[in-house]
Amino acid sequence: MSTEIAIETRNLCKTFGRRASKRIEAVKHLNLEVRAGQVYGFLGPNGAGKSTTIRMMLDLIHSTAGDVYLYGRHVHRHHEILRRVGTLVEGATFYNFLSGRRNLEVLARTANCYDPRRIEQLLEQVGLAERANQRVKRYSTGMKQRLGLAAALLSDPDLLILDEPTNGLDPGGMHEIRTFIRRLVDEQGKTVFLSSHLLGEVEQVCDRVAIINLGEIVREGAVDELLAGKSTLRVEARPLQRAAEVLRQYWPIVTNETWLTVSASHEDSPHVVRRLVEAGVDVYQVAAQRQTLEEYFLAVVRENGSHA
Amino acid sequence: MRNLFRAEWIKIAGNRWVAGCLIWIFPIGAVAFFAVAGLVLALSSSARTGLRQDEVFLWTEQAIGVWNFPNNPVGRLILLGFTAVVFAGEYQWQTWKNVVPRNRRAALILIKFLALGAFVVLAFSLMSALWTAGWAVLTRIADVSYGPRITWAVLQDFGEDYALAAGLAFTSTLIAAGYAALAAMLTRSILGGVIAGFALTFVENLSIVALMLIGWFLDIPRIVHLYRFTPGYNLINVASWINDNAPNTMRPFEESKYSDIVFSDSLGFSVALLALWVFGLIALTVTLFQRQDITS
Repeated sequence: MSTEIAIETRNLCKTFGRRASKRIEAVKHLNLEVRAGQVYGFLGPNGAGKSTTIRMMLDLIHSTAGDVYLYGRHVHRHHEILRRVGTLVEGATFYNFLSGRRNLEVLARTANCYDPRRIEQLLEQVGLAERANQRVKRYSTGMKQRLGLAAALLSDPDLLILDEPTNGLDPGGMHEIRTFIRRLVDEQGKTVFLSSHLLGEVEQVCDRVAIINLGEIVREGAVDELLAGKSTLRVEARPLQRAAEVLRQYWPIVTNETWLTVSASHEDSPHVVRRLVEAGVDVYQVAAQRQTLEEYFLAVVRENGSHA
Repeated sequence: MRNLFRAEWIKIAGNRWVAGCLIWIFPIGAVAFFAVAGLVLALSSSARTGLRQDEVFLWTEQAIGVWNFPNNPVGRLILLGFTAVVFAGEYQWQTWKNVVPRNRRAALILIKFLALGAFVVLAFSLMSALWTAGWAVLTRIADVSYGPRITWAVLQDFGEDYALAAGLAFTSTLIAAGYAALAAMLTRSILGGVIAGFALTFVENLSIVALMLIGWFLDIPRIVHLYRFTPGYNLINVASWINDNAPNTMRPFEESKYSDIVFSDSLGFSVALLALWVFGLIALTVTLFQRQDITS
């Protein structure tokens, strides 16, 4: 991994609304450092401040305080640094009355990087070559999303900022995009800043993640580090409700229709079984499992409160 | 800059309904008018007689007269609609978020004004040519003379008058576009842009009445002099200089104790004022856009 810093935010704040009664602090003193050459996941519940942060990174909205630097250059003062960035922000939207190919031409010309061969190459790469002359109005959400990815790659950027890039894609399409993102980083040395609510996807593709909640970063680190030692126990017992009542007194639990997920380590297994047996609950199975990013995320968000 | 202009051109021309109904409507309307009028003249002898009794037809006047269309209410409303689509469309289609990171905001707005102006000039030049040719056909059918004869002197005079009329129409369109662009940016909606743009044009035209009333009530009649700084007055004054080589003399309080208040400004004053309005409105739109948060 490179030591170059692709994205840096310093004390970044954004407040919407002028009147005190309507004022919303969407982002609060956000400090973030994303090194080049990795896939960086940006997670948070709805309304956590993800999109606001991304829009400030792209100079779409102005920060109330603090700064954003891309490759060491202040994004607002040196707008041209955004030429090294490809973006897909909150769902791909295009000029519906133009064809996919024309949309890419408009965006490439706007960025002063028009190259018809590059457009054909990208259309081929995202699987839209055959429908490139069709108006975007007739595209499905998944097709628009693919076109959005092609648009993000038009200038062959060093950094990709992708907000929910797999929205509207079928499982096959999602897998394709994941592989595509990983290849961009591993083979071409690009940096990807990825915001997604599909935590399984993030876990599979990201090197590091930051979790934002209520406008603040609550956790940040390498995925493996964050999940290290965060195993859970899957408990199958009858009656399940009684088992939940008993275990809740000692460990955080998540109930399911047929089993319980207990946030406890492998070493706690005998204690869990003992507590249940003492309470007259029949234990069928206790299995240790590695905590998923989704479980970790939910636990962190619960711990920090959320308006989602 | 050429690429940016081309991108804007593709966006406008590619929106066939908008370009068709709000820009190409002018030349297409001219063709439709002449098709119907030609048919009527060809079939009706009374129509041909009626045309012969009308005034003298001069191709020079027909070609130049077309350029008054942007200043009449219907033409103005259509052009306001066009401007509102060009500026507010990006908000409604949520496409600013794709465009803004790719180039400087000031360049994006300036190119919109440039492309808009180019479309208007192209549409009206085309309409003017069609209108001139159309009347040539109609006068030929009705056997009416269609002068003046083309000589170097006629062409020279015509060229000057045409450039001035077109320049005036273009300036007036740019000012209206400035209002509509500002309104579109503030309301972030096409309809809002049209309504607010039309309201601003209307308020500007009525400002003389408001100033006169304020002058009467407060007994400070000189306040009416503020009207001399509006685009409406200066467009009329420049037109007067072009047509009559004299200022447009305007007496707001006619036959009253304030009848000594007269507007009669030089061509230089009006041209400078109009330039200031055009640059001011464009600069204001750019400044507003620079400070705006793109949230959709």
